[in-house]
Amino acid sequence: MKTLKASGVGKAIDRVEGHLKVTGMAKYASEFPIENKVYAQAINSTIAKGEITSIDTSEAEKLKGVLKVITYKNAEKLKTFDKERPAIATDTIAPVLQDNKIHYYGEYVGLVVAETFEIAQHAARLVKYTYKKFSDPAIRFDELKSKAYKPNDKSDYSRGDVDKGLAEADISIDSVYTTPIEHHHPMELHAIIASWENGKVTAYASQQMVEDATIAISDTFQIPQENVRVIASYVGGGFGSKLNVERHAILGVMASKMIGSPVQITVTRNQMFTNTGLRQFNEQRMKIGAKNDGTLTALAHETISHTSTNMEFQEQCGMVTKMLYKVPNNKVTHRLIPMNLQTPFAMRAPGEATGSFALESVIDEMAWKLKMDPIEFRIKNDTQTDLSKDQPFSSRLLVECLRIGAEKFGWENRKQEPRTNTNGNWLIGYGVSAASRNSPYQKTHSKVILDAENGKVQATIQMDATDIGTGSYTIIAQTASEYLGIPVENINVELGDSDFPVTPGSGGSWGAASYCNGARAACEIAVSELKKKQNIAEEEEVSIAELLKKNNLTNYEAKGMAEPSEEFKKHSVFSFGANFSEVWVDKDTGMWKIKRMVNVGSAGRILNPKTAYGQIIGGLTMGAGMAIAEQTRVEPNFGNFITRSFADYHVPVNLDLANIDVIFLPEEDKIANKMGIKGIGELGITSVAGSIANAIFNATGKRMRDLPITPEKLIDAPLEEGVTA
Amino acid sequence: MRPFTYTGTKTKDEALQAYSKNSHYLGGGTNLVDLMKEDVEKPNQLIDINNLDFAEISKNDDGGYKLGAMLSNSETANHPDIRKNYPLLSMAMLSAATAQIRNMATNGGNLLQRTRCPYFFETSMPCNKREPGSGCGAKDGMNALHAIFGYSDSCIAVNPSDMNVALAAIGAEVEVQKTDLSSRMIPFSDFHRLPGDQPEKDTNLEPGELIMAIHLSKPVFADHYYYLKIRERSSYAFALISVAAGMELKSGVISNIGLAMGGVAHKPWKLTKAEEFLKGKKPDKSNFEKSAELAMQDAKPFEDNKYKVEMGKKAIVRALTQAYERKA
Amino acid sequence: MNDPEKWREDLDSRDLTEDEKTIFDEVGLNGTSRRKFLKQMSAASLSIWASTYFSNELFANTMKDLPENPEVFWNEIKINLRVNDSVKPLTIDSRMSLLDALRERLALTGTKKGCDHGQCGACTVMIDGKRKLSCLTLAATCEEKEVTTIEGLGTPGNMHPMQEAFLKHDGFQCGYCTPGQICSSVALLEEAKNGEASYVTEDFKMINKDLKLSEEEIRERLSGNICRCGAYNNIVQAFKEVHSGDDEMPTWEFATQEQMDKAKNA
Repeated sequence: MKTLKASGVGKAIDRVEGHLKVTGMAKYASEFPIENKVYAQAINSTIAKGEITSIDTSEAEKLKGVLKVITYKNAEKLKTFDKERPAIATDTIAPVLQDNKIHYYGEYVGLVVAETFEIAQHAARLVKYTYKKFSDPAIRFDELKSKAYKPNDKSDYSRGDVDKGLAEADISIDSVYTTPIEHHHPMELHAIIASWENGKVTAYASQQMVEDATIAISDTFQIPQENVRVIASYVGGGFGSKLNVERHAILGVMASKMIGSPVQITVTRNQMFTNTGLRQFNEQRMKIGAKNDGTLTALAHETISHTSTNMEFQEQCGMVTKMLYKVPNNKVTHRLIPMNLQTPFAMRAPGEATGSFALESVIDEMAWKLKMDPIEFRIKNDTQTDLSKDQPFSSRLLVECLRIGAEKFGWENRKQEPRTNTNGNWLIGYGVSAASRNSPYQKTHSKVILDAENGKVQATIQMDATDIGTGSYTIIAQTASEYLGIPVENINVELGDSDFPVTPGSGGSWGAASYCNGARAACEIAVSELKKKQNIAEEEEVSIAELLKKNNLTNYEAKGMAEPSEEFKKHSVFSFGANFSEVWVDKDTGMWKIKRMVNVGSAGRILNPKTAYGQIIGGLTMGAGMAIAEQTRVEPNFGNFITRSFADYHVPVNLDLANIDVIFLPEEDKIANKMGIKGIGELGITSVAGSIANAIFNATGKRMRDLPITPEKLIDAPLEEGVTA
Repeated sequence: MRPFTYTGTKTKDEALQAYSKNSHYLGGGTNLVDLMKEDVEKPNQLIDINNLDFAEISKNDDGGYKLGAMLSNSETANHPDIRKNYPLLSMAMLSAATAQIRNMATNGGNLLQRTRCPYFFETSMPCNKREPGSGCGAKDGMNALHAIFGYSDSCIAVNPSDMNVALAAIGAEVEVQKTDLSSRMIPFSDFHRLPGDQPEKDTNLEPGELIMAIHLSKPVFADHYYYLKIRERSSYAFALISVAAGMELKSGVISNIGLAMGGVAHKPWKLTKAEEFLKGKKPDKSNFEKSAELAMQDAKPFEDNKYKVEMGKKAIVRALTQAYERKA
Repeated sequence: MNDPEKWREDLDSRDLTEDEKTIFDEVGLNGTSRRKFLKQMSAASLSIWASTYFSNELFANTMKDLPENPEVFWNEIKINLRVNDSVKPLTIDSRMSLLDALRERLALTGTKKGCDHGQCGACTVMIDGKRKLSCLTLAATCEEKEVTTIEGLGTPGNMHPMQEAFLKHDGFQCGYCTPGQICSSVALLEEAKNGEASYVTEDFKMINKDLKLSEEEIRERLSGNICRCGAYNNIVQAFKEVHSGDDEMPTWEFATQEQMDKAKNA
């Protein structure tokens, strides 16, 4: 707290809760000191498809310290789905242990509750299951393509006539891009401590959206929503995996109810591959046509992904292709294959991260064929109208992002011809990608509590918002500081408790805009009400301390609400950006490294450049992971994930990254919302894999269309036609 | 983790006497404790040898060095005598894992590091190494990370250690003590074994034998050395392929050469044919390439690890070149 | 002080302790507003803003001991765990990791469980001054060893320079890998002083003390701590600043109006 001198929105202050995080004092879900808690360990299925035929719990049950073994035979009855393959959302129920059916390898089939963690872990291995294995698990993507189905009417989009556009083109390209299954893997293992008292349950849980978590838990147990309290004061990363209530949380609530003590479940890292969501495999076919002068004539984006056999999730890779460039003929389709795998769910920039990789790669392919600078090619096809909705963008500074970034990066030093920029064993390449991410904004409530003493005002803001590393505590404090006119030091922000006013929670890049406008609303109402009581004109400047004094009050509370305007709904509201990568590829070993990156972001008003920078580099780092090594592989004979630990699933390490210069464009998008804020948490990841793959092409002349770009793939890949070895 | 008896010891005799069937000596625990959590290793007794005193580096009478088995990898790699006299070993050791793990992992433990084959780790899958007779899941499954040399029908796993690759290039002996307190020396090349029909045995250690030290012969490859590690990320990852290369030059030709490869076999793979070819030859690109062809001649890859043959050749040439070009 | 709710209820009937007062100075609460604030606070935020500061000892005392039947275990071990300069006698299951002993028995939850298999670095602590992984260290092996955790490096009111640097350079986001990153960084300062080498060290035969680590060296040596939020660049800056003593400048900037105009009209 000592370094917090500045106040208000826009200042690069340190995180207000930072001192707690750097000293290990911030409490995450499994760290609340709940008396008499016991430990539970979930058990996973070891077949991909079939039925449990028998369960022997005797060995586990006779172990001293074991309190309960729960399987489908004795589990509490929960609400189950009333239709086949329902779509998954953030407040969807999560029934578990309700029957003997196995839908995928790793599905929860039981839970052991014990006095200690060690006993629970050991006992979980002592529960013996026998299965009837079905012979036809859907586990090989390539063999299942004929089973792909169209999920709904929103899966397809078209304007103009793509075939005609391709026929009119001087050059056309038809390329297939693939991205593997990826996992969110926040560093905090998903966890819950569930505790029942008088028919009400309190869940200390790692959730991004506490309101939706109370809905999902209460719906699943068929109890009133007010009987569920969810507390998520600190969340150790989410990236989408903690949006919804996963089944371990339901197991925790169930176990606590059944044994009458608080129960702690920490999902293992291995279980985070099979039980806390994933980004699905995507095969994206891109068709693009252009005139010799660089005018786009056609663009098609056909995606095949998988969902699970028991639930439906659709990540729209083609979203970005509909709106990013001025192209008259455009077609986007999405198809799903049901597979015996865990249900996929939103991972950071769902659709945009993977879709942008395909789109921005094929744009680069076309620029190469046209012998055009890829930046100029993009600028030539820029549009200020969202052609997919036929409405203007609230603001779009993509051209500025590209040009300012190019200058900062030194783009003029890029060689158009691959393999011509070298240094010893290194082939050096420059790559660029545009970035774009929808910037939603949602209805948000908040409460402010003012407390005056000796002329000094302290304020507390309460919201059920979460801070998953995004900086919510800090930017909300800055907002309150600005709208109440008091220093940040005097603001106390309390988040992550479902007893607080309802917000949309953290996800989809709407957090900053929603939370801050919500907090603003309460502060404005407090000021306005205090003025009104004393007949002070709205525009008159009076300090909050003075206002309380005039009202003869030492404390005061107000509630506020903010929601999207009509103007907002008439516009397409997106954040834009551009990423530039310099990549060095070892000409022999196929190992490569990111040498530096420049990222330019146009994301509305930057509330705190320090935390905003964190969001950008965080997105870039995760995007670098997509390019470097992240992939989850399905074992073709058994259907389990062969990559089952952090030793097999390689997320980026410190040495994988390099210097990143970030430039924010000065922008306030007042159409987006009153404070001019747009989302920034997912913007970074939408541009990085493309810019790296394009840089690798520029370095090597090899077009890498299948992520991740591992050394073995690079060694094997052929030179692109027209590249001189 | 299954329950086990923890036995603390103060002397090596105490440790050896505590040994009983299905006991494990506990060193740094970086591999053993992990495998116990995975239910792959199931000892009923752990004999803690962390307080034993064979954790020193000393010079032997023949000019070589003795590395205590209980010395940590980081202490060994950073010891001034090792850095000066066996920099290839330092480099290989420091390429492994992370600073935290190297601070824990012991020299003896590293010799015994078990494979990273995912079929070995996942107890619901078949694996002859973990559960003899259950089959090999990798052979007809996913084998991108598996052996191209020396495998058998029952196991195609690879040894994951970096230290071992350097030791294979340098040459060493392993001093072990038996439970009857007698000791023996095992040449490094005989320490690890090929899987054959007993893949559950990684090494030729007998039950209860305790590793006391690694003996290195007189300093070698102190000027021309390189440990190349090709992996999927720049640090904290096991090798797809690694090459330890050391050479000594006399009158412009290679007078002594040590060349070994990791990530390709059940044991650190000494590239004997390439070594023999290079002896007496000029250290130039053409000879390096010829040696690489010879080295990979007998490779028999599987469906997913064909890349290792080409990558192996490139890695050999690169490691030799780096070793040669290093400014002494 | 085992239940924040009860603690809050008790507030009316007692004076604030010295510890508590210190804490409120930290969070910037003064005078009588302290008590008022505390009462308004939820259980959740209470344990964030207040109880965590001074409660580790108290929490630890109320944490459950092992179940009453010692024969549950093949090997019940009694150890004296020396953590952050105080000795804690514990009866533990031989299977208990140091990580779980710290978190579940001593309420020192600053040390994090990120994978429990030695693959992420979140559980990094210092044992006898060396950075090690507490998840792969059996607590039973720690008798007579000195364990330093993040709580022992500094407190919110008295931070270690590395903690201050992480705060200043925003070397974290969600904060979960942060204690491990900081313990690792503090240990690395010492390793650099000792002249230890890394895989990216140019020449292993050159042995010097007091190394000035390059950025590549820092990144390699901190690669044992995974940060999924992707704060690596800020972590490197924080480390550099403490390591070199020189101020590190942020690598973000705002485009100028001139740049904007030029880009628009190009």
